[in-house]
Amino acid sequence: MSGAKFTEEVIRLAGEEIRTCIQCGTCSSSCSTAHLMDNSIRKLIRLVLDGRKIEALASDSIWLCTSCLLCTVRCPRGIRPKAVVSALRQICEREGIRSRDASFERIFMDQIRSMGRISEVLLSAAYALRNPDAAVPIMEMGIELLSRGKVSLDPGSVKGMDEIERIFREFENE
Amino acid sequence: MSEIAYYPGCVSKATGREYDISTRSVARALGIELIELEDWSCCGATHVPNEMLSVGLAARNLTQSSLPIMTTCSICYSNLRSAIRRLEDNGLRARLNSVLERKYKGARVMHVVEMLSESLKNRELPIKLSGLRVSPYYGCLLTRPGNGIDSPEHPKVLEDLVRTLGAEPVESPLKMLCCGGPVFMSREDAALESAYHILMSAKRAGADMIMAVCPLCHLMLDAKQGTIERRYGVDLRIPVLYITQLAGIALGLGPDDLALGMNSISPLPLVERVYQSMTAD
Repeated sequence: MSGAKFTEEVIRLAGEEIRTCIQCGTCSSSCSTAHLMDNSIRKLIRLVLDGRKIEALASDSIWLCTSCLLCTVRCPRGIRPKAVVSALRQICEREGIRSRDASFERIFMDQIRSMGRISEVLLSAAYALRNPDAAVPIMEMGIELLSRGKVSLDPGSVKGMDEIERIFREFENE
Repeated sequence: MSEIAYYPGCVSKATGREYDISTRSVARALGIELIELEDWSCCGATHVPNEMLSVGLAARNLTQSSLPIMTTCSICYSNLRSAIRRLEDNGLRARLNSVLERKYKGARVMHVVEMLSESLKNRELPIKLSGLRVSPYYGCLLTRPGNGIDSPEHPKVLEDLVRTLGAEPVESPLKMLCCGGPVFMSREDAALESAYHILMSAKRAGADMIMAVCPLCHLMLDAKQGTIERRYGVDLRIPVLYITQLAGIALGLGPDDLALGMNSISPLPLVERVYQSMTAD
């Protein structure tokens, strides 16, 4: 995908408003993890508009977004920066750009597709298996929750799994 | 008795069990019959980057009842409300309906905050919480992106509810900062840092406790509080109660009904204090 095509693809996924960005930085100044990012959200949008695909997709910022939506509430142009982040995550996945963060989303969605609901135990276990350095904090959390009777292997079963599969098939290649 | 459909969400079965237990107890006490959605599934939370797929997964739940649907999780709530807005688009609605078992024909969704605000109005509460300083923690998705419950910038719905319960709302400047929950597994440092600042902010404001309205926020502020204390070398020990647990105390429900033993930072000394100040009156 060329730079220009990349820009158009993000706009298709996240909205035409992106073209009207005035680079005011309201998004970045509202962001709770801005101080940890390599590119601010404002700059990420600039990278998208300039077709700088490789830099945009390699940016750690895509994965530091917590989906809090404060940027989306405040953007004076009605841009949804979180939707831009989601579009970039989606393109990363399509292009096979791997990361621990992407693996978490993959596991999460696979679990919805196979069980209909999320089991926190299975989610944590699957994530720790792929990312062994995450195992210690996950175990620590597990022990705390277990001692409070808040660990359950069974999230209950969903009957309408065919329906969920149909939803995935209809929209997954969006 | 009024009937409301209940969408518990995945977390209610494990990490957020005390939220589920206390929600059911409080509803019973208020004369509300909660009817759990028959075959609910995950709303997609914040981990489905494909927006159309996310709308589809959330919307499946909206077709399972003709009653108003209540949820206790702010992520589920925001997703369900967003799905309703997106499905005003006839093209998307038709596409979704072509794969759904039951057709989507519109839905009404409320947060447990709305259910409580409505049903506690003009109600005599047996237990007085006067003197209890409560820091309401909004987090992100109760009000955002524009769920209609209150202003996403200057909300007051939780302060009003704290006053309705007879307690005193305390203003914490970081009451709307994200708890970091959605990235706590993949970006633990970032998540703990956010939660640390929120806890400190409530503590500095002089709160006796924090009131939470979302199970992921609660996890970050309560279950992770010990980890945060160790990491930052601070002594916090501030109880974080779910809104339903606090409402249940005011309604005179007991610790078991409200699963008060499941919170990591025990709220029992605080509850004891409430009872003692009542007998002293």
